[in-house]
Amino acid sequence: MNDTAIQIKGITKDFISGFRGVKLRAIEDIHLEVANNEIYGLLGPNGSGKSTTIKIVLGLLRASKGTCHIYGQPSHAMSVRKSIGYLPEAPYFHSYLSGYELVRYYARICGLDRKIVNQRVDDSIELVGMQEAKNRLVGTYSKGMLQRIGLAQALVHDPKLVILDEPTAGVDPMGAEAVADIIRTLKDRGKTVLICSHLLGQIEDLCDRVAILHRGQLIRSGRVDDLLQQTDRESYIVKNFNADGRVAMKKVIEEQGGRLTNIEKPRRSLNELFLKEVELSESTHLKKGNKETK
Amino acid sequence: MIASLQRIRLIAANTFLEAVRQKFFSALLLISVGLIFSASFFQQFDFGTNELKFIIDFGFGAIFFFGSILAIAVMAQLFFNEIDSRTALTLLSKPVHRSEFLIGKFVGTQFLLLIFVFVLSLVLVAILFWRESILLSRFGNEARLDALLHYYDIFIFAGVQWVRFCVIGAFTLLICSFAKTYVYTLVTSLFVLIVCQLQYIAHEMYAQMDIGPVRLLVQLVSWTFPNFQLFNVGDQLVLVGSSSLSNAAIIHIIGYGCIYVITYIFLAYNNFRRREI
Repeated sequence: MNDTAIQIKGITKDFISGFRGVKLRAIEDIHLEVANNEIYGLLGPNGSGKSTTIKIVLGLLRASKGTCHIYGQPSHAMSVRKSIGYLPEAPYFHSYLSGYELVRYYARICGLDRKIVNQRVDDSIELVGMQEAKNRLVGTYSKGMLQRIGLAQALVHDPKLVILDEPTAGVDPMGAEAVADIIRTLKDRGKTVLICSHLLGQIEDLCDRVAILHRGQLIRSGRVDDLLQQTDRESYIVKNFNADGRVAMKKVIEEQGGRLTNIEKPRRSLNELFLKEVELSESTHLKKGNKETK
Repeated sequence: MIASLQRIRLIAANTFLEAVRQKFFSALLLISVGLIFSASFFQQFDFGTNELKFIIDFGFGAIFFFGSILAIAVMAQLFFNEIDSRTALTLLSKPVHRSEFLIGKFVGTQFLLLIFVFVLSLVLVAILFWRESILLSRFGNEARLDALLHYYDIFIFAGVQWVRFCVIGAFTLLICSFAKTYVYTLVTSLFVLIVCQLQYIAHEMYAQMDIGPVRLLVQLVSWTFPNFQLFNVGDQLVLVGSSSLSNAAIIHIIGYGCIYVITYIFLAYNNFRRREI
């Protein structure tokens, strides 16, 4: 089996616009490798070339220069798309279909056999937690539900590589956490995930490796820990430490040739606080409800 | 090949479903049925033929007029719905060839038009049969009339009209493949429809011209756009006593339409395969 899920070698994409054929360079000389069974984050501001890169990976655009291979096959080969599941940014689906019909439609398009299609549709709807709303029309779904049914259609044919473009855009923190849980489940199941997101906190928690694009160029890439760790510094989290101890510790550090640069109280993230408080409120509400029914 | 046909069938079925659930289709169908039905109230009777001829002309006119509008509007709308709402992006990221997408859209739309033409023809036949029975019972003995119309041929005429709508749908699809907006597609397609209706003028012109660049240009125009006058065979098919149309002539018209459909779809694919979604 090929260990590289995506291999991009020196791709450049120029768009020609207007009658005079003015060239607009969307991405330039991008080199990227996504290993099998890793979660890879593609970061960058708007217009940095993320969507163009994704479209080339999906075979929807041809690169002006360079090559892109998915599991060793050229990305524009139609057969390769059987191994890819894609959730577009701010997905919009046929509003006249129910969630179940929509996922089934894409399952059949992907060539799933009639005998297994219903089971696969049920499984992917269950994975994204949409069983209760599966018979409702897609037009009545909230943003979070659209993202989840979008994930279900991306996963229904059991692809090896899943590409998610802003999977949590416009979704509340709890929905975003649910999506993050699904992505972790996908990794546990041996899938490779390429994820584009502006929510850097989520990318940091989820991804094994990231790449940062800016103005169409790859400006940084590597393992998240390697990129974020300040290797010349260390932090110690100490409980119940008094002022004398702090003075003594500072002295020891200086004696050993170090320098204490900062003392701060560890903080939880706002996201963490929000999720905890909502969970607490939810369980209190449930308990109250149970008491009232008794 | 089978997998490809299966995908085309799925896209066509989904396109058909989308089209049927649009109010535009239902409204146009109701208006057309109402219009054909109202023709029976225009009673200009002269020995049993004028009224029926009037109803036939009215009915065929309604089928052509509303069918053409439907062929252009539905094709353009369903295509741009997929592009603008980016559902095409999701679909084409699956193992779907762009030609399958285009053909699926085309087949779904044409199936809708087939039903449209069939329903209108049924209404027309019912009204003609009703009026003919009244006329025959009232004047049959006096005028020695048996049957005034070939009812079966109304459906053949409807089939020929459907082929014309397929051509209209195909050139609309061609315009969709490079157009950026729905309105541009709509306006250009209506313009092309008028050109096709008047194409016979170019055809007659170049027949009388001397060989030269102008003749070549006019000839090119007459090849690029089909001659829609060829499809106006209603009277020949339906009215008893008119010069009848042979089966070979009908097959020739259908074949003529099919060549344009295939050519336009091929050109549409050629544009669409390079289009950025």
